[in-house]
Amino acid sequence: MTGTRAILELDDVTVTFTAGPPLRRIRLNAMMHVSLSVARGETLGLVGESGSGKTTTSRVALGLHRPTGGAVRFDGRPFPRRRRELAGRMQAVLQHPHWSLNPRMRVGQSVAEPLAVLGRPVGDLVTEMLGHVGLEESFATRYPHELSGGQRQRVSIARALVTRPDFIVFDEAVSALDVSVQVQILNLIRDLQEEYGFSALFISHDLGAVRYVADRIAVMRAGEVVETADTATFYTAPAHEYSRQLLEAL
Amino acid sequence: MKRPDRLSIGGLACLLVLVVFALGSLAGAGGDPDAIVGPRLQPPGPGWWLGTDNLGRSMVPRVMEGVGTTLLLSSLAVLVTAAVSATFGIIAGYRGGYLNELVMRLVEVLYSFPAIVLAILVAAVLGPGQVAASASIVLVTIPLMTRLVRAAAVAVSQRDYVTSAVISGARLPRVLGRHVLPNVAGTIAVQGTYALSVGIAVEGGLSFLGFGVQPPQASLGVLIQQGGTYMIAAPWLILGPGVVLVAAILSINVVGDGLRDQLEPRETRSLT
Repeated sequence: MTGTRAILELDDVTVTFTAGPPLRRIRLNAMMHVSLSVARGETLGLVGESGSGKTTTSRVALGLHRPTGGAVRFDGRPFPRRRRELAGRMQAVLQHPHWSLNPRMRVGQSVAEPLAVLGRPVGDLVTEMLGHVGLEESFATRYPHELSGGQRQRVSIARALVTRPDFIVFDEAVSALDVSVQVQILNLIRDLQEEYGFSALFISHDLGAVRYVADRIAVMRAGEVVETADTATFYTAPAHEYSRQLLEAL
Repeated sequence: MKRPDRLSIGGLACLLVLVVFALGSLAGAGGDPDAIVGPRLQPPGPGWWLGTDNLGRSMVPRVMEGVGTTLLLSSLAVLVTAAVSATFGIIAGYRGGYLNELVMRLVEVLYSFPAIVLAILVAAVLGPGQVAASASIVLVTIPLMTRLVRAAAVAVSQRDYVTSAVISGARLPRVLGRHVLPNVAGTIAVQGTYALSVGIAVEGGLSFLGFGVQPPQASLGVLIQQGGTYMIAAPWLILGPGVVLVAAILSINVVGDGLRDQLEPRETRSLT
């Protein structure tokens, strides 16, 4: 890292899933000795094919899954046992626009929820955040089914930013959207990052989208990180054979 | 949301008529159900439009009282079922693991008893009466409702808005109350209507066997049982309550189907 302390560090993390009856138990290594770090204000792109361990990595990074081995540090300290201690400091924008918002809650309530959880006053923050992601005030009283996929992801981003978190995970956040809408959302993420200065883990199987937002790129394959490089270096001179294959397929 | 079809509107209307009858009976309309108004076992005629029973009581107020007893008993039981099933189904579906296994295995034990055998068992333990009838309905309807609520809760728990709430630091009551419950409420409502029709059938069966509501109080099951005794001499005695019982179950099921089409187009299935 360039002098700044990393906001998130995965140190030699291994996650093993087991399934099936005893004696014939199947073991699956979703992550094997993965070490990653995300510096303050930096976006780390994480790419890899389906089943390469990207989503497991995001779940570990968010504290939703305890690793089998290795250590996770957030802001220099080991991950707290109770993830509520980090409430408001990390957020996520997840994959499916269709299920990203509770269909029984108005958009305004969804955006305000992270604040309500923390017991912080809401005030005009919902309107302000909706404005930041390019949605009018009137959206606050609508229900998710009245919104398009791109608008829903904007709302998800507003909800993720409302507590001014240090770290946001974008897990396939634009993959389900039309290409033109993808570009709008990616631009929005870049602009907001400049303004708010959050760090991000941007997970995608879409190398084009990752190139657009990421400062550095990590490539995963079968649970292992095969290469980590600056974005510019990665796209011009990938070091690992698998990275080259991925880029050729683009 | 699409408009309800004519069939379920008709079912709802039929159900409302029955409820009005039941409420009318409480208000004293139709006369005293226990009053002796004429000779025994009279065919329908002026003064007793559905005939008189073996004691000379008019069947009209008795059927009205019977509908009320049956509906009230079943509704209360179904409310209890809904509360219990929603609680355990949601927790089991959200938490998974050992808790889920425990709840599901218990429910399967209950499910493995034929409804009427379970009901007779309950009546034998608690003694015949309204309490036994209600408890039987609860025990008979809990297994399916819990399983379906759990299945719906499993699906809802995996959705991104639940994960987002957890990441934001929401505690369990908030996650379950704000995110999971409202999104399985449709399933609970639909299954509630099916449970209600099962409840009516169970009450009918138990009272018919003499383990449920006790005479002189009328319920549909009691009336059918008494009517059955005189079926050759006075077939109208069984006709009134029988038709009403069929109408009640049919209309509730039709309303349930309509409700399902409205709320959960793909996620639920009918009971039997």
